Amino acid sequence: MTTTRQLSSAPGTLGLYGRAALPMIPGASRLPFVAGSASALPDLTLTLPEVRVDVAKLQAYAKVCGFSLRNDLPVTYPFVLGFPLHMALMTDGSFPFPAIGLVHMHNRIVQHRPISIGETLSVAVRADNLQPHPKGRTFELTTTVRAGDELVWEDVAAIFRAGSGKGPAPEGSEDPTAGVGALRIAPTEEWRLAGNLGRRYGFVAGDVNPIHLHPLSAKLLGFPRAIAHGMWTKARSLAALQDRLPDAYAVDVRFQRPVLLPTTVAFGSTETDGGGLAFVLQSASAKATPHLRGVVAPA
Amino acid sequence: MTSPRRVAILGGNRIPFARSNAQYSSVSNSDMLAAALDGLIERYGLEGQHLGEFAAGAVVKLARDINLTREVVLGSKLAPSTAAVDIGQACGTGLQAVNYIGNKIALGQIDVGIAGGADTTSDPPIALGDKLRAKLVKVNNARSNADRVKALLAIRPTDISLDFPVNAEPRTGKSMGAHQAITAKEWGITREAQDELTVASHHNLAAAYDRGFMDDLITPYLGLERDGNLRADSSLEKLAKLKPVFGGPQGTMTAGNSTPLSDGASTVLLASEEWAKEHGHEPLAYLVDVQTSAVGYVGGEEGLLMAPAYAVPALLDRNGLKLQDFDFYEIHEAFAAQVLSTLKAWEDPTFCKQKLGRDEPLGSIDRSKLNVNGGSLAAAHPFAATGGRIVPALAKALKEKGSGRGLISICAAGGQGVVAIVER
Repeated sequence: MTTTRQLSSAPGTLGLYGRAALPMIPGASRLPFVAGSASALPDLTLTLPEVRVDVAKLQAYAKVCGFSLRNDLPVTYPFVLGFPLHMALMTDGSFPFPAIGLVHMHNRIVQHRPISIGETLSVAVRADNLQPHPKGRTFELTTTVRAGDELVWEDVAAIFRAGSGKGPAPEGSEDPTAGVGALRIAPTEEWRLAGNLGRRYGFVAGDVNPIHLHPLSAKLLGFPRAIAHGMWTKARSLAALQDRLPDAYAVDVRFQRPVLLPTTVAFGSTETDGGGLAFVLQSASAKATPHLRGVVAPA
Repeated sequence: MTSPRRVAILGGNRIPFARSNAQYSSVSNSDMLAAALDGLIERYGLEGQHLGEFAAGAVVKLARDINLTREVVLGSKLAPSTAAVDIGQACGTGLQAVNYIGNKIALGQIDVGIAGGADTTSDPPIALGDKLRAKLVKVNNARSNADRVKALLAIRPTDISLDFPVNAEPRTGKSMGAHQAITAKEWGITREAQDELTVASHHNLAAAYDRGFMDDLITPYLGLERDGNLRADSSLEKLAKLKPVFGGPQGTMTAGNSTPLSDGASTVLLASEEWAKEHGHEPLAYLVDVQTSAVGYVGGEEGLLMAPAYAVPALLDRNGLKLQDFDFYEIHEAFAAQVLSTLKAWEDPTFCKQKLGRDEPLGSIDRSKLNVNGGSLAAAHPFAATGGRIVPALAKALKEKGSGRGLISICAAGGQGVVAIVER
């Protein structure tokens, strides 16, 4: 049976990260209120009604991501509105994985129409589609935003959990960004990313995962340095394209390689045959796999 | 060369002006200018179009905004081939931008352009003090790490200081309000007269909003739908309670009858008649002529904000007009006392004889034609955005009337003034 749990206000993500760390204590996952013990995704939808955008918070977010502050929300901003629900869901006792250690692989946002700053929104989050993967398992975290009954925005985050790979590669999961590499997009912009970018974005987006905050906390979790938030790389890329985005569109990105901070990255974009845009974010120095590739497809 | 072409004012768009550190507290000049431009692009269907030029400026500007207007164009839906220029003449910036675009259209250099301006007093540029700056330059120029450390060690705690932008004339050290208080005293401008003008400004602007006059001149921004400084219930009783802020305890100028620090941006669309026709826009009115004048004020020879009193007669003479030949007067209300001093000067035979060299004074204006849709006291005055607030509103008032003529007068820091004639 589907359970819908309505929260009266956005939970604080700092406390939830405390909860998220609990499953890292050996044996803790056996406790019923700690995530990581269940074997299937919970049939649970978390909702937050009557969400209104705090302009001061939005301004801070726009500044960190490079968006010019308009009357319409930056396309990636509703993800921030949904983030406390993501954390609440993934730290719920019924959730099968510990939140820390999950990897965001792919993200698709569909903006059905621009959302203006003053609108009252409702946000819903659920997890679905648990799939086997050669190196672990994957699932999808879906965020939907409504204005009244009208669906205005949705986000599907494909998330990977490393583990014993039991199954074959998931079938039929087409990657809309697969063709981007073949376009050989030449980068045209270089961005110098400071070592504190993860803290700055973490603060405005509420995502204070230790892998983003400091080289030392990142090292504890297996990264050589702090890494930029994937959703920051998506947001910054879309900010670079802000003047060329249509009103209604889908934007898919694949997070291919973490951005280790500080660094200099290069960004490039090109128009696609379908009247959309393709873009890449890569290291400015090494000719390695891009950090991010993405596609904007008008609705 | 062919004779100059008529310059059509097609319309404008601005964002509501906010008081300093209010709704736009962490919004940059470029964000505000982009928002005002966005609304203009949408209202006039300019998306993807190549325009001749975009001219705008900001008085209080961050050092990194060297190419403010060009960056705004690149972030907008205008074709990236639209050139842009940053211009600046203190509070005259907006009207001077209109003049710049207008002249280019008149001479056939461009067919269509946008003028504008933005200013924030909430996000001001703060500079390092000179001593610290000089020493940091040395650190930056050091070739080796040892030299760098040496240069860093040379910095003493007493070197550390910050330069905040101040509202003061560099040569006199006096604020604009302090200057105007002297002028107000010279011209015997009473507190009551200033407060009356202030109430009229608020009531006129509130009425303009109420009857929908502002609907196609403004685009709400960040939840602000009307100018944040507007007090529709302004009254003489309320204003009478305020203490003087300039001119000492006996002064007449208060926070009510002076414009507050504020944030905002505005844009104006100007074109040749041919371009307007081709693109299906009916001109609201035409820009006829612009005059910029300046006065010496440093030694007290004239009031800092009195240059418009000189610019207007020069403009009238050039166009064969009298001060009374206008249906609307848009005199920028930097301070109520500035407007009243200027009007009094034009009525004064001695001033007109001695300072302007005229046998007859310019005379009085019909005060019911002054700032009929509100002025800067009500709307507030983000310095460079004021010209772009006034021009489209006046052009629209002329269109509503059917035909007529309007006079614009804007005083600016440094003893300068920009004035213009608009007609339909």
